[in-house]
Amino acid sequence: MADGDDQPTVLVVEDERALIELYVRWLENDFEVLTAEGGEAALEQFGEDVDVVLLDRLMPGMSGDEVLEAIRAQTSDCKVAMVTAVEPDFDVIDMGFDDYLTKPIEREELLETIDRLLSRSEFDSIEQELYALSSKQAALRASKPKEELDENEEFAELQARIDELQADLDTTLPEMGDDEFVAMVRDIEADDSGGESPDSEGGDQ
Amino acid sequence: MSYRTGDFDGASAFDDGASLLITGPSTVTTEGLLDAVAPDDGERAVLITMNTGPKTIVKELERRGADRDQIGIIDCTNAETDVEGVPVRRLNSPGDLTGISLEFAKLLGQNDDESVRARVGVASVSTALMYTEPRTMFRFLHVFTARIRSGEMFGVFSLDPTMHDEKAYNTIRSVFDCEAEMTADDVSLSGTGYE
Repeated sequence: MADGDDQPTVLVVEDERALIELYVRWLENDFEVLTAEGGEAALEQFGEDVDVVLLDRLMPGMSGDEVLEAIRAQTSDCKVAMVTAVEPDFDVIDMGFDDYLTKPIEREELLETIDRLLSRSEFDSIEQELYALSSKQAALRASKPKEELDENEEFAELQARIDELQADLDTTLPEMGDDEFVAMVRDIEADDSGGESPDSEGGDQ
Repeated sequence: MSYRTGDFDGASAFDDGASLLITGPSTVTTEGLLDAVAPDDGERAVLITMNTGPKTIVKELERRGADRDQIGIIDCTNAETDVEGVPVRRLNSPGDLTGISLEFAKLLGQNDDESVRARVGVASVSTALMYTEPRTMFRFLHVFTARIRSGEMFGVFSLDPTMHDEKAYNTIRSVFDCEAEMTADDVSLSGTGYE
């Protein structure tokens, strides 16, 4: 999630003006909201600060799928909820979006979906930091005898931070469901096989 | 509730949502894993296998008291065998993690009642690591064990430490709640999530 900012940023992409207005009214209290009335406009608005995109699939001009592809080419960090007219099949999780909503969308449903997507982003970043720290710790373990580690301050600090992150991770997504699980694994694979490998050993954001 | 098992270094039940790593030579850990995932009445067992054919898995689980309708298998061994009465989903590579998660969701989704009691076995993490980067595997295992926790299932994973450098082994083992280190005639269990 964006740090520094108080509120996460949601980009709403929808070709019907009335719907944009409705969604903005629902979201503006909790989020920084950007809007775009079509695919091209969406890509102009899109940037690193966007945490979640609410993307209408069927739009004149550039379609939701094309926008998604362009977004994914830029970053895998941002979460995309596709808005579709019909309930898609389970396998579409393979298509690259993180969740979907079927029209008409209700207020509660929209807020819940965005919250869960933000939790997933948080899970991702905790788990990436956890990997960096765990491999650092594992390297220490492999290079120093145990007695020495017991007195090693860096090692103790690492352990404390790892325990903390582990606890955070356990509370971030207490009710992970099946489609969430599949989408998250897909994101991990896409991330790690992608050209840019953000292997931030010890990197902090 | 918990998942009852045979004796593991004095422990005989694992907490709902716990994930256990069994380490040691693969011949020994595969046996240990099968012992741990053999389902009780009313439970299911889903095996993700990369080193043992589905036929052997089913035979071994039946020997441990399982019925065929309790078993589901995701086969990454290219064994091309069918087992009557057991759903076997095939994947081309142990490295196809998205495929594994998708098939896993489908296998468990078959019963739609929410609270399905299930044991999940992965044999083995070592084989999977030959097809994926340690970092990818670590992240996958984190998400997988989180799914096991949220679904109150019981996860059992096997790994042969001699197949990996010490750093990779130490990183991977930190994902699990508890670890059973096995030799041919001894088990030592450490961590949390068992009684």
